[in-house]
Amino acid sequence: MASGNMKAIKRRIKSVGSTRQITKAMELVASSKLRKAKSRAEQARPYFNELYKSLCEIASANTDFSTIFTVKREVKHKLFIVVAGDRGMAGGYNSNVLKMAAAAHADDAEAPKIIAIGRKAGEYFAKRGYDVVASYANIAEDIKPNTAQDIADIAIEMFANGEVDEVHVFYTLFVSSMSQQPESMRVLPMDTVQLENYGTMNYDPSPEAVFNRIIPRFTASLIQCAVVESYASEQGARRNAMESATDNADAMTESLSLLYNRARQASITNEIIDIVSGASAQS
Amino acid sequence: MTPFKLQIITPEKTVFDGETEQIIVRTTVGDVGILNGHEPYCAALGIGQMRIMQDGQFRRAATSGGIIKVSKEKTTILVQTCEWADEIDVERANNAKSTAEERINNAKLSNDDKALLLAEAKLKRALNRIDTSGFN
Repeated sequence: MASGNMKAIKRRIKSVGSTRQITKAMELVASSKLRKAKSRAEQARPYFNELYKSLCEIASANTDFSTIFTVKREVKHKLFIVVAGDRGMAGGYNSNVLKMAAAAHADDAEAPKIIAIGRKAGEYFAKRGYDVVASYANIAEDIKPNTAQDIADIAIEMFANGEVDEVHVFYTLFVSSMSQQPESMRVLPMDTVQLENYGTMNYDPSPEAVFNRIIPRFTASLIQCAVVESYASEQGARRNAMESATDNADAMTESLSLLYNRARQASITNEIIDIVSGASAQS
Repeated sequence: MTPFKLQIITPEKTVFDGETEQIIVRTTVGDVGILNGHEPYCAALGIGQMRIMQDGQFRRAATSGGIIKVSKEKTTILVQTCEWADEIDVERANNAKSTAEERINNAKLSNDDKALLLAEAKLKRALNRIDTSGFN
């Protein structure tokens, strides 16, 4: 019986060890990807910030101007752009942002239309019978400005022709490599901040024309930022999840080896008792 | 010519951050030249070439869609893409050109206006890059 027990423990130690190898490898891959993703997220920010500033400047300097992109309408239909990962094994990363998107429309009479970025988002919403307008997979790691523009164009067109009255984006904010926070943001109609210090600008040909030209760029840039930010979060979350999995595997191996040694000792003791009692029976 | 501060920023990175003596960009209403001390100015940019002068020499780049903003402190150019003439991958641009032409034909056959518009924009970008690289 003792040797059978020992064999089982040995097998478990081996299987935990090979799992640990996988989680360790995934942790290393995630942390190298995280480093790259972090710098991408940082490089995407200046463009977004400058565009946002320009939009606010136009809106602040021209109080009388109006475009459909800033006017609030009665909200009947919404469009959600949800950014999640292509793969699992990243702790709560996917489920947090998806749950947030689901909770955001819990009080609405009508389910929102969805643009899903990341395979997990696509699967989630398709399975639950949402109206998925477009679904993108495997674009997050290396998203190109043109791809972001395509996504933005779909959203803008739906907004402009009245198919939807609001566009929201759901993504995961990269707070630090230890903490990632799901966030939502309304893209359209957009909120402009009234700036205090804005210079007088000459707009060519007109403020409205420039504003309307910037809006698609701005939306695309926002999506780009949301995607790179989420991707960095995904790698951070995966690294953390895999790190704790590796730690767990280490702890398990340790306690299993203890059990194994105990069982081994017990079987040796038993054998000695057998031999000794056999010898004493003969004499 | 007195140099002034210029920043060129794309969604992917800051392409240029330094001083220039003169800028010529293609706005939606035509080419515009900027020198030091230009009045505050903001315009949307189309697909076209951008030239910036450094040490009396023009450097060319192919840009697509964005804005230029001139303020007292600095000039900021925000564009979707910006490729210097000597960095353009001509082979890739030629490939993009033939793909775009193919798509235009398909779109015309199927009467897909939206696809046609997209393909035409793609062709324009490809041609712009090929043209710009010729100045290298």
